[in-house]
Amino acid sequence: MDTSYSLYLHIPFCRHRCAYCDFNTYAGLEALIPAYAQALCREMAFLRQAAGERPPIHTLFLGGGTPSLLPITALETILQAAHTHFSWHAPLEITLEANPGTLDRDYLRAAYAVGVNRLSLGMQSAQPEELRFLERQHDFGDVIQAVEWARRAGFENLSLDLIYGLPEQSLARWEQSLSRALDLQPEHISLYALTLEHGTPLSHWVDRGLVPLPDADRAAEMYELACERLDKAGFEQYEISNWARPGHACRHNLQYWRNLPYLGLGAGAHGFAAGYRTVAVRASTAYIERLQNAGAPSVFPRTPATAEAIPVDRATEMSETLIMGLRLTQEGVSLQRFEQRFGQRLEEHYSAPIRRLRRAGLLEWHAEALRLTPRGRLLGNRVFMEFV
Amino acid sequence: MVYFPPLMNRERIRNFSIIAHIDHGKSTLADRLLQATGTISEREMTEQVLDSMDLEREKGVTIKASAVRMQYTHNDGQVYELNLIDTPGHVDFGYEVSRAMYACEGALLVVDASQGIEAQTLANLYMALEADLEIIPVINKIDLPAARPDEVAAEISDLLGTPPEEILRISAKSGENIAAVLQAVVERIPPPQGDPDAPLRALIFDSHYDAYKGVVAYVRVFDGAIAPNDMLQLMATQARLQPVEIGIFAPEMRPTDRLITGEVGYIATGLKSVGECRVGDTITLASRPAPQPLPGYRHPKPMVFAGVYPVDGEDYEDLRDALAKLQLNDASLVYEPETSQALNFGFRCGFLGLFHMEIIQERLEREYGLDIITTAPSVEYEVLLRNGEVVRIDSPAQLPDPAEIEEIREPWMKIQIFTPTEYYGVVMELVTGRRGVFIGQEYPTPNRVQLDFEMPLSELIVDFFDALKSRTRGYASLDYQFAEYRPDDLVRLDILVNKEPVDALATIVHRDDAYRKGQALVSKLKELIPRQLFAVPIQASVGSRVISRANIKALRKDVLAKCYGGDVTRKRKLLEKQKKGKKRMKAIGNVEIPQEAFLAVLRLRDE
Repeated sequence: MDTSYSLYLHIPFCRHRCAYCDFNTYAGLEALIPAYAQALCREMAFLRQAAGERPPIHTLFLGGGTPSLLPITALETILQAAHTHFSWHAPLEITLEANPGTLDRDYLRAAYAVGVNRLSLGMQSAQPEELRFLERQHDFGDVIQAVEWARRAGFENLSLDLIYGLPEQSLARWEQSLSRALDLQPEHISLYALTLEHGTPLSHWVDRGLVPLPDADRAAEMYELACERLDKAGFEQYEISNWARPGHACRHNLQYWRNLPYLGLGAGAHGFAAGYRTVAVRASTAYIERLQNAGAPSVFPRTPATAEAIPVDRATEMSETLIMGLRLTQEGVSLQRFEQRFGQRLEEHYSAPIRRLRRAGLLEWHAEALRLTPRGRLLGNRVFMEFV
Repeated sequence: MVYFPPLMNRERIRNFSIIAHIDHGKSTLADRLLQATGTISEREMTEQVLDSMDLEREKGVTIKASAVRMQYTHNDGQVYELNLIDTPGHVDFGYEVSRAMYACEGALLVVDASQGIEAQTLANLYMALEADLEIIPVINKIDLPAARPDEVAAEISDLLGTPPEEILRISAKSGENIAAVLQAVVERIPPPQGDPDAPLRALIFDSHYDAYKGVVAYVRVFDGAIAPNDMLQLMATQARLQPVEIGIFAPEMRPTDRLITGEVGYIATGLKSVGECRVGDTITLASRPAPQPLPGYRHPKPMVFAGVYPVDGEDYEDLRDALAKLQLNDASLVYEPETSQALNFGFRCGFLGLFHMEIIQERLEREYGLDIITTAPSVEYEVLLRNGEVVRIDSPAQLPDPAEIEEIREPWMKIQIFTPTEYYGVVMELVTGRRGVFIGQEYPTPNRVQLDFEMPLSELIVDFFDALKSRTRGYASLDYQFAEYRPDDLVRLDILVNKEPVDALATIVHRDDAYRKGQALVSKLKELIPRQLFAVPIQASVGSRVISRANIKALRKDVLAKCYGGDVTRKRKLLEKQKKGKKRMKAIGNVEIPQEAFLAVLRLRDE
């Protein structure tokens, strides 16, 4: 196997579900964690068996949910299993997503010791009332502490997530949160516009008129303000919502945006490998059961937890390569890589939409690649739409 | 298979219809009667057999009349033939209602026990009285918590003089007292009259198109009889025909060997167009024609016109075919090709009224799967030119150069509004605010008033009914008839989107209203047209003078904040949906305009 994968492990547990979140996660089921960790290890073993060898990986990402709810022993077991069942290509990027309210000094020290080398902290905001509104179970003080402990533990790659575009949020409040985040000197920052997801408490509040709809124009201003501030602070924007100090772009996520293969394990996890998009069974209990009862080997990239494996045809793969790749604001979609991959020239295959979108000022050619213009970054959907 | 019914003694035939306001339970009652007489079994019973179109079921109204024959054993031991002729329940189909009633000797007047009498009921009741029908009042929905049967009985009694205690009280839904209704039909409604030996005269009160049998005419035989081999003639259109078959509705079409004086049934004419076989026409024998047709034939004329365009130009042929098919069943639908600068190729369609237009529009979308844009409805104007010539136009775009116009005339309607007296003021205000003129009032019952007005049809078709309903909390009801053409100071209000006039958004308005309507239209369009990649000015103008403007700001942000590996499929679906929505819009110049915008003029609120 010469393809190198990224490995995503999903940890679907949270102490409390945040008001805006529609991810596959469950609050109050922490008692399942030990069994879940075991199931995850078994799934890795099955995947290896299906592959016939240890699939090579160069990044590993523990996402959630709240992966920092994993007891250190469980974390260690999982990483050991990953080491046993996959062939690690150094330098391996191992990210742990963490809720700042769940961390302590010993935990961070231990996590670093078992191999985690990148920490992604859900800071979201420095404003107490915004954190309350979002139903985050931490305050900004927790974030400061977590960063300090992480540095002491040895972490040299820290990322902070922030949310902007909250109902009635002012530019000034946003700028404050952003400044507080920069004060903490992270290597990486992700900024997400608040999105109303169907079925979340937040979207109910808005439907019932309890909360005003977030103002998209103001969110656009916040975005532009952030671009400016982060640029001055020495960050490079490399994706629509992501900034990093040079050399610190998230390699795991780059794999997604370049539409390269990754293996997704855990309840509800998605994967993309060997021409299939895989989706694992969603409920954590069902997931555990499936792996407990599994016997027969599966065909790669399926595992006993796979609920669906959808073949990706060439046209879909091409279009997804654009939808994902154009999110990369610097590198965009490389002409050469596109032609190597599909045997067709990008500018010929999509000549009409590219012409239209360039004329509209949303796309540009830059260094033998197609990418969004600064204006296009805020109007990405208008661009992506043309390629579906 | 030919069915031979026992030759019915005319004395034991009863022909009747049901008069009811929308939602007062006509169809449910009809279903119950069919069940109670065993015409259909429980098993066959899909709700509301008579309303065969989905659309009707959804809107809760009957669009086209229908007829059904029931065998009923009365408590005198005799079997009676009951013909129930269903009537359309909407104001646009008044003529069809009048013909259906003329085919009957009696009518059940169904009134909702909580709503009481409404304008529609009243209008149809007057029609029934004009046709000399025996009226059997029935109070329905007595099982509802809001029922007030005593008050409603008093209202009916005031209106008809029937003693309140003689008025039937039923629940069609639960089946309560349905037997009493059937008994009353037999005992109170007279058997049909007519001369069996006279030359055939049969009234067409409805029709439908059948691919194999041609136009199927629904008829009531007034004189003489019809046999399957008779050569027949239509007295108004002069069409001659040899029936493919004749028969009755039981409730499905069942062939018979004859239809006699007083009976109701159908003639499958083999004719290829409903235009040759119009409602109200009289069928007679070609060999022995009647000297006089039955009275009351009219050729209903379309009153409301609108452009119907395919969203995607490639669907033009499909749209034409669909209109042709709809017209097979609906002689009152007219259409001809039309070209719009904004919308390209489509059709100018004429409808009996706004409701009729909505039905056609929905059928095109639902039954034929077409994506269409309907422009704001217009009436037919008469334009007197300086050179003395009179031209008729049914689209604002056709209005000649103002310099050539001497006078513009528009159709005026007589309207009747029936409302609880407490809404007298708001109704008055609504109508006079729309150039309506008060004519008179009557109090048919103590708490209700009938207000008579005259009003331009152009004002009536723009959201008037909805405004009336909302201001009277649904209590007022409306009926209208054409009065005459009258001149007024009318001008064309043009709309410019991104500085280009959009012909499909132009309207003809009274000069005094131009400014107010222009403003309202511009702000409504600003609401309905989504933000584009660039700023779009919207302007309203009369002649070359801009009277109102607004600006649609450029779209700034439309991007998914997060997209990681697992999301691709879902995000892709969102993008596909978004793209589809965009495709449904009409690109005019560089601006994408959603379908609703072309009907914006209908959605203006009167402030």
